[in-house]
Amino acid sequence: MHLPDMQYPPPPGGACECRLTYHDGTRRLVYCVDREEPFPDGRLIVSRTNLAGIITHANEAFVTMSGYTIEELIGAPHHILRHPEMPKAAFADLWTTIASGKKWHGYVKNLRKDGLFYWVYATVIPNVRGGVVVSYTSVRRKPSRRKINEMSDLYSKMLSQERAAQ
Amino acid sequence: MVAPDFSPDRFAGWHMVNTLLQSRSGLQLHLLTPSSAQEQADLLRHDKADLIYANPFDAAHLIRDLGFRAFARPVGKPDEMVIATAAASPLRCLEDLRPGSRIAVTDNRDVKLIGLRLLEAADLTDKDLQWVLVETFQAGARLTIKGEVDAGFFLAEIYHSLSRITRSQLKVLIESAIFDITHVLLAHQRIVGEIPAIMTALSGIGQRSADHEVLEALGIPGGFEKMNDEEAEFMVDLMDTLLD
Ligand SMILES: Cc1cc2nc3c(=O)[nH]c(=O)nc-3n(C[C@H](O)[C@H](O)[C@H](O)COP(=O)(O)O)c2cc1C
Repeated sequence: MHLPDMQYPPPPGGACECRLTYHDGTRRLVYCVDREEPFPDGRLIVSRTNLAGIITHANEAFVTMSGYTIEELIGAPHHILRHPEMPKAAFADLWTTIASGKKWHGYVKNLRKDGLFYWVYATVIPNVRGGVVVSYTSVRRKPSRRKINEMSDLYSKMLSQERAAQ
Repeated sequence: MVAPDFSPDRFAGWHMVNTLLQSRSGLQLHLLTPSSAQEQADLLRHDKADLIYANPFDAAHLIRDLGFRAFARPVGKPDEMVIATAAASPLRCLEDLRPGSRIAVTDNRDVKLIGLRLLEAADLTDKDLQWVLVETFQAGARLTIKGEVDAGFFLAEIYHSLSRITRSQLKVLIESAIFDITHVLLAHQRIVGEIPAIMTALSGIGQRSADHEVLEALGIPGGFEKMNDEEAEFMVDLMDTLLD
């Protein structure tokens, strides 16, 4: 599925513009605002995808935090939330891990529909039914500020390496 | 068998439900109320339970390893937890808790598990904290109020049922709002054939006017709703993501 370009976010503050290319070759224009949306206290952000990474379920916290409507989310590829500051290697690791039937943990910076970002500590697990992996579930928790700072530094280094290698 | 994490004043409610279920389903039911997680584990090891009102933490093991089938859950009664400190404590939010903090906990594993996940936001793990084991949430509240611990872990339902005076001496640092995690009613494989009869009796509780008293006594005013295998598996997957 090809996602439409993002709309230029409303003021205040400027936004940076970036064209992302996803794993399936589709591209879209995204805007990022350098402002964080705080993780809602006490919540878990939950979604589920089919084996191809298409969203099939999202809980209320997921919908609210993403800024999209549930209708926009269901059926969309999960990269709808991909932030340009996330290195490809993080997602490559996620997909290799879950494809081998294992649980993946990682810190992810997500992009909202309005261009703001939010950090999560995500766990993704394969859903095994009758011995077969039928889908994936991701549950996100609130990460600590120390971890966010650490991962931002790490990801920005990884990203510059990825860019240099291109 | 009923998991040992209900508040003592619900005891009568469980007896009433047991009696109603027996008379309406025609099945012989003998109520088992283990008083601790350990006692519950012993009963399970001796294969003593056909029907279990299980907490979500145990549900994973009961469904996936012991082959129990989920068939019902309470309506509008998610399992949430509260981390509270003394009202007079200088702690204002979760992030104010420091390594070495003393925390009162009961042997409720799901409460501890969810609490630990919430504490990650404050950069605290199991080994950073000093755990003070208490018999009941009420005892945990007393230690917290006296300042003998920095904070206490509570099952939210029980926290909110503490007396007004007790609660006025406490301050909530965080309360979970997960919604998807509930207790579940499970049936052993040897009685899956009886599930329809039990379910009919169970969902019928609340239909007759006198039943409301029973559900109130149980603290589940919304009664029970059907839960299918996939809904149970979904919840178990969710619990699985919280284990580490
Ligand atoms: C269950 C599940 C949840 C995911 N959650 C996110 C997410 O929250 N944010 C994100 O950017 N990618 C998430 N991904 C990874 C995306 O599918 C995708 O790999 C990533 O956004 C990078 O896009 P690309 O693979 O199309 O290049 C998730 C994948 C799965 C299977």
